[in-house]
Amino acid sequence: MPEANVLPDATTTDGALLVLAIVSPAAGVLLSFVLGGQYAERIAAVLLPSGLFLASIIFVDVWRSGDRLIYIVGDWTPPLGIALRADGLSAAMMMTMAIVICAVAIFALADFGTRAGSAEARAPFAFWILLMAIWGAMNMVFLGGDLFTLYVAIELLTFAAVPLVCLDGRAETLQAALRYLLFALLGSILYLVGTALLYGSYATLDIVLLSRRIHMEPATLVAAALMTIGLFAKTALFPLHLWLPPAHAGAPAAASAVLSAVVVKGSFFIVVRLWFDVMPGMLGPAGAQLFGGLGAAAIVFGSVVALQQQRLKLLIAYSTVAQIGYLFLMFPLALDTVSAELQSSGALTGGMLQAISHATAKAAMFMAAGIIYAVLGHDRIAELGGVARAIPMTIFAFALGGVSLIGLPPSGGFLAKWLLLEAAVATGQWWWAIVMLAGGLFTSGYMFIVLSRAVAPSGEPLKPRVAVPRYQEAAALALALTSLLLGLVAFGPVDILQAGRLESMLVGPR
Amino acid sequence: MIGESTLLASAFVVPLGMLLACLWPQARNRMPSLLAFAPFPALAAVLLVASDSSLAIGSTRLRLTFAMDRPGAMLLGVSALLWIASGAYASQYLQGRPNHAQFVVCWLMTLTGCVGVFLAADMVGFYFLLALLTLGATGLIIHHETRSAWRAGAVYIGLALLAETLLLMAFVLLAAQIPGDSLLIRDAAAVLSASPQRNLILVLLIAGLGMKAGLVPFHFWMPLAYSAAPTPASAVLSGAVVKASILGMIRFFPLETALPDWGTALAATGGFAALYGVVIGITQRNPRVVLAYSSVSQMGFIVAIIGMGMLAGDGRAALAAAFYAAHHVLVKGALFLSVGVIAATGSRLLWPMLLPPAIIAVGLGGLPLTGGALAKFVADELLGDGTASTIATLSAVGTTLLMLQFLRSLANTASQDPQATPAVGLVWPWLATAAVSLVVPWTLYLTVPAGTLPDPLSPAVLWKALWPVLLGAALAVPLWRWWRWLPRIPKGDIVVALDGGMRMAVTWGKALERLDCVLRQWPTAGASLLVLTIALGAAVLAR
Repeated sequence: MPEANVLPDATTTDGALLVLAIVSPAAGVLLSFVLGGQYAERIAAVLLPSGLFLASIIFVDVWRSGDRLIYIVGDWTPPLGIALRADGLSAAMMMTMAIVICAVAIFALADFGTRAGSAEARAPFAFWILLMAIWGAMNMVFLGGDLFTLYVAIELLTFAAVPLVCLDGRAETLQAALRYLLFALLGSILYLVGTALLYGSYATLDIVLLSRRIHMEPATLVAAALMTIGLFAKTALFPLHLWLPPAHAGAPAAASAVLSAVVVKGSFFIVVRLWFDVMPGMLGPAGAQLFGGLGAAAIVFGSVVALQQQRLKLLIAYSTVAQIGYLFLMFPLALDTVSAELQSSGALTGGMLQAISHATAKAAMFMAAGIIYAVLGHDRIAELGGVARAIPMTIFAFALGGVSLIGLPPSGGFLAKWLLLEAAVATGQWWWAIVMLAGGLFTSGYMFIVLSRAVAPSGEPLKPRVAVPRYQEAAALALALTSLLLGLVAFGPVDILQAGRLESMLVGPR
Repeated sequence: MIGESTLLASAFVVPLGMLLACLWPQARNRMPSLLAFAPFPALAAVLLVASDSSLAIGSTRLRLTFAMDRPGAMLLGVSALLWIASGAYASQYLQGRPNHAQFVVCWLMTLTGCVGVFLAADMVGFYFLLALLTLGATGLIIHHETRSAWRAGAVYIGLALLAETLLLMAFVLLAAQIPGDSLLIRDAAAVLSASPQRNLILVLLIAGLGMKAGLVPFHFWMPLAYSAAPTPASAVLSGAVVKASILGMIRFFPLETALPDWGTALAATGGFAALYGVVIGITQRNPRVVLAYSSVSQMGFIVAIIGMGMLAGDGRAALAAAFYAAHHVLVKGALFLSVGVIAATGSRLLWPMLLPPAIIAVGLGGLPLTGGALAKFVADELLGDGTASTIATLSAVGTTLLMLQFLRSLANTASQDPQATPAVGLVWPWLATAAVSLVVPWTLYLTVPAGTLPDPLSPAVLWKALWPVLLGAALAVPLWRWWRWLPRIPKGDIVVALDGGMRMAVTWGKALERLDCVLRQWPTAGASLLVLTIALGAAVLAR
């Protein structure tokens, strides 16, 4: 096959791991259905840690080789078949999500654990199956090599995420879930239409092939715009965030952590794939500024509204709205304003690092909020007094998560902010720098409000309603520490996020 | 050389280790009695490590560097002395009080940050340790958890984080200018004066460091914070911690290159602050608030010295400002400790106990033979004979007056019980600090600037220092006579303007929240989806 020598796409050693990363969660879901609900937890208990192990092998492989892992499914090369590819971005995100999901699973043992010999219960059964489904879908998002696979993945993700919102079956969570479902479906339709347009024009959806064939023409750009807005709706980028606050604030703590930390990153990741890999540099200055403008509006709106919240979980949900905004600032910052070409790799690294550090920090904060809710029986911020004495470890985890969100060193948030600011200075786009810095101040504002209430003494000694298991607090703290120490990756010798980037990334529009 | 870098590292690693040890309850409970030992490695490093030795951690991509330079060593040494004395004071102070754990954690955090900032030679490390310092200091300020303590803490952390935000922007701008990957402060200062964004960077640096230094009009946090914090915390905050920003100015500003416009502006602001602090301070009756305003005045004076150095492109300003600041570290620390001691002293012992604070307080005004006179004498070299010199003299007169007001308000706070005697554990750290504040400036003067200056003991010099003090003392008589006619200015003076700003911010916040509610309605969200699709389509097509 002389063709195979021309194309870089051939299954690499260890490429089969990529299949395993997608198939094993799917197998877990099916097995749970077959064996029955009381086994779902045990199956997850085996599969999730092995998933973390798998993700770390892939991570180390990509890091060592500095190149992509590829698996050509059934040896049918694209455009006929499907390719799975793991570059630095995928490997780092897979690793992060595996860590977060494992921590969430440990946390959820208290709320969704099934006693040995007990009968199947609806909520735990659904939770463990959905958790495995989300994990599988995320892996597919990260590894999928063509836009249709990504569509399937993002649909899977949505359908696994929506039931998580209404696990407790209360009327208002059902309403929030429906809101989420309907809006996400609107997004799916837009994405699918865009995909169809691209396929009609280029007869392939494979990312590598597409990036070689694609050129500037109205149909392509319309397709890209449709897909992007569809993904924005799923990411809850301002002003398309109507579903996020009720859904994330209403779900059980473990589910909120997954939704806020993991699920919104899936659609964001596809936006990155689209504009950095499929059509690098085609966003153009105006489009990039629009991305940045939406991100900036999200930062300002989300933070200011978060400052006004009376309930802790709603505050954290609005903080997610704001933090999503940061992710989209990397698009204008990665684009050189003069030559309209994708330039600095720093902005891409900074944006992805922001996604990673937000994932770990936000999951920790939602877990902490869940523990606080369990202890107090409410999460009204004004009445948090004394809680820091009762559960110091949890409040500490919450504070560390906040440190990362504010962007104080040595957190991952700081490194991300530094890289993004550097890109802003290098490309002369100081207005995004102002937004980023102001966002940090707003964030410290709402963190101060929560923490000052939490450490204030209470009128009468606080009697915890339930005894919080130590491992729940430990899971939250471990994630918060991960986020805090993430900035230390800057001491590392290589930048994994840049591993296996295509050369075509730095080529301008054709 | 390994020994030197180990010493350098231990200066901040030991407090950091003690901080981490606080994770264990047993260690936390024992920690109050160990606080005084945490700063010893820093002191050892100052005494044993040669100037200009450095320590680097990290890889080629990012390297944290710690180094000892002359101004840094001077300030670190005296700060370590103050931290030791205040730590000893704190261990007595904490006995029989609640919330030990919170206090020691915040104390060690502040100490680590303070020592680290004095040693940090690169911008990332400087920023990190400054942030650590801020968080720890906020914890110390709100320690008593009263309403006013919370307010002071909120104002402090708000302003400090704003300052750090401005500094971060300045650092990123500087990093973009430095050729290569270096993040060293030395390299940043070298490129600053020739940088195309020089003015922007200087505005950010001056505003950021000025906020942390309590430079007027960003001084309002000082009276709030120092009157709310526990006594030993006030001592280290006013003495050692604020000097971090002075050191920042010394290190970042290009003092070797003359920048007349910026130098004039900085010197004028500093001079104004030096007088403003006095004018507001003499209307106050709480001794801590009077001291806080004295800090406003003294920090202004130090900034004026740096400004004069920038004006003339005189590199000696770095050492002069550091010397003046070093003296202020010890004096202000000792005076704050005396507030706690006198409050525990009854009328029987009051007069002998008031003697040490009286000497060093008037020394701050420039009483001959004290460290204050020496500090002013060193600064005089840079101030020249013009307006700056007049302001310096006025400030000396005013400071004397302010210090007499401090002593008067201090005497009023003495214990109601005539037989009350302060605990020994409070008295000796305080006396030691007072003694050290008299001795150390002379030691520093004799060792560091290598005696190139004219004799500070000549009669002309002595008289020049003495007459402002006498004039200040003479002015105290009419001041106290008509004192009750003076306007009653709330502590923090212009901070009341913040309340108005706060109300406006709340209104705006509410408006944004209502807008958010509208945006989250289905019809609006659907319309946004449509508009965004069209807008993005237009944006990518239109080029």
